[in-house]
Amino acid sequence: MKTRLIKLAAAVALATSALTGSVYADIKIGVLVPDSGPSGLFGPSTRNSATLAAKEINAAGGINGEQIELVFADVGVPPAEATQAALRLWKGQGVKAFIGMHDSAVRQALLGLFKGQVPYVYTPVYEGNACGKGLYVTGETPSQQLAPVIPYLMAEKDAKKWYLIGHDYNWPRDTNKLAKQYIADAGGEVVGEEYLPFSVSEFDSSLQKIKASGAEGVLITLVGGGSVGFNVAFAGFGLDKQAIRLGTLIEENTLAGIGAANANGLYSSSGYFAAIDSPVAKSFSSSYASEFGTDAPVLNTLGQSAYDGLKLLAAIAAKANGLAVSAMDMVAEGTTFESPRGKGVLKDGHVAQNIYLADGTGGMFKVVYSFANVPTSEGCAN
Amino acid sequence: MSSVLILNILWQISILAMVTIGLGIVFGQLKIMNMAHGELVMIGAYAPVITASLGLPAVLQVPVCIITVGIVALILERTIIRHLYGRPFDSLLATWGVSILLREIVELLFGRGYQSVSSPLPGTMSVLGTDYPAYRIVVIIGVFAFFAILIAWYRRSAIGTEIKAMVENCELAHACGINTSRLSSLCFVFGALTAGIAGMVLAPTIRIEPMMGLDYLIRSFFSLVVGGLGSVEGLMLGVGIIGGLQSALGAAFDQTYGYLGILLLSIFFLWLRPNGIYSSR
Repeated sequence: MKTRLIKLAAAVALATSALTGSVYADIKIGVLVPDSGPSGLFGPSTRNSATLAAKEINAAGGINGEQIELVFADVGVPPAEATQAALRLWKGQGVKAFIGMHDSAVRQALLGLFKGQVPYVYTPVYEGNACGKGLYVTGETPSQQLAPVIPYLMAEKDAKKWYLIGHDYNWPRDTNKLAKQYIADAGGEVVGEEYLPFSVSEFDSSLQKIKASGAEGVLITLVGGGSVGFNVAFAGFGLDKQAIRLGTLIEENTLAGIGAANANGLYSSSGYFAAIDSPVAKSFSSSYASEFGTDAPVLNTLGQSAYDGLKLLAAIAAKANGLAVSAMDMVAEGTTFESPRGKGVLKDGHVAQNIYLADGTGGMFKVVYSFANVPTSEGCAN
Repeated sequence: MSSVLILNILWQISILAMVTIGLGIVFGQLKIMNMAHGELVMIGAYAPVITASLGLPAVLQVPVCIITVGIVALILERTIIRHLYGRPFDSLLATWGVSILLREIVELLFGRGYQSVSSPLPGTMSVLGTDYPAYRIVVIIGVFAFFAILIAWYRRSAIGTEIKAMVENCELAHACGINTSRLSSLCFVFGALTAGIAGMVLAPTIRIEPMMGLDYLIRSFFSLVVGGLGSVEGLMLGVGIIGGLQSALGAAFDQTYGYLGILLLSIFFLWLRPNGIYSSR
């Protein structure tokens, strides 16, 4: 009995030390991904992209000589719950830095939680204007996606009259505020502007207005299923013969839902497409395919952004010799990193990056033009 | 009123009628508030996705749709629904659970992503002096023909009479030798099939993904609230008012007002005329 007890105690002690051993061996990085909710579609590709980045970072010696380990949490939930999930990783599991691919409401809640005490890289396409201590943003903002693209398309496609349509929240409204300025600067005219509630799944009356307006270009800031439904109906009415379409969040999944028959003259502006034809982008997508299989969730700008987030974090940490926010903030400006998007440079807390314009005609994106090193011009609102 | 608006309203009414008829049959005749109705529409919309992924010719989507939706409806009826006939509130909770289950199953099979279905009749045609999608014109004509046949059949056929007898007094009908159990499951499966076919017909014009069913449940429910239960006439009135109001307000102002309009109207009816405009009972 006694020996059994001693054996048991020894086993427990061994097990505990093994456990704590693994806790302190690596630097833990929290990766906040949408596994549920409206962006749930992007959860798997985000996880996969983050996993690839961590593998590369570890192969190159980790952060400050230590290997990194990713800990994931679902933030496709309301901000209050997302904050709880992040807090559990931070205080409960000892996570030393965060990568976040989620909506802006969650970002604002997390900034209130972190208060600059832990580095936080925010990665998706968003409306711009976020900044703060320890916050680094890699995602595209409206000024990056539109400032070079609108004048280019207006000249190339002779589209002077634009109709702006989006869902009714701040990202489309902020995007269109800038778009109007770019259209006016390039000598064009806005012939209509419309915001739809998320509950709308019929677009007939909007399409009628677009037809009547004589628009030659339509800027689409509808998201997800709304964008799919709108674009299907748009082509159904033959409006693809009247106007080109430009979207700032039409990624590979959305295009697949729109379908080849409905994608005639549909352009998308983004920092990443799976179709980018560069050696780095190609080796990224081939290692993605070999790691996760050819049936893996398709690569897209949202999912891939988590890769950039980790690469930027590692690059700043390398300059700062660690993950202390004060040291990182001091050296962050001007940090560069390599990504399938091209070279990224941190400027004012945002990444100046290549912006690609892709044509979805035929149901597959083809990059038709790339604009090099486009900086963000939004200011700092918080 | 422009001719496009008239066509848009006719289109809205047609598709809403197709989606609502099944919900109306199941609720009006069986007192089952089927919250999984939208998911049956969704499964129907996946029929062309199934045929495309199996490499089958497009014509086969009709039997594929009828078989998949029919089997799902039959299983649901045998395992869950038949125990809840005449218990609207219990059925509401149970079918809400069923709707989640069906969404998850479809997600497991096809993934969370969007699917696309190409139109069998692409392009536009000139109608009433305007260009309108040809496929929509065919669907509008088809739906109105279907309803004409359905009304005529229901009024004259023996099954129609048996259903009426069962709804009026189930026990007496049973005593008269009508197999009410079989008749009930027939009603449920028929209602489900109309939803599935509506989904299949809509598929080339909408987005297709596991969550899409919710869009269709809500407006169908509003149509029943406004029109009243138990008659095809009431149903047509309901879908006419809901579909027409949303299209007209959406065209005149914007879509927010269209949606607000049908919400207000539905609240008004639930509050002051819970039996709807055209209540047979």
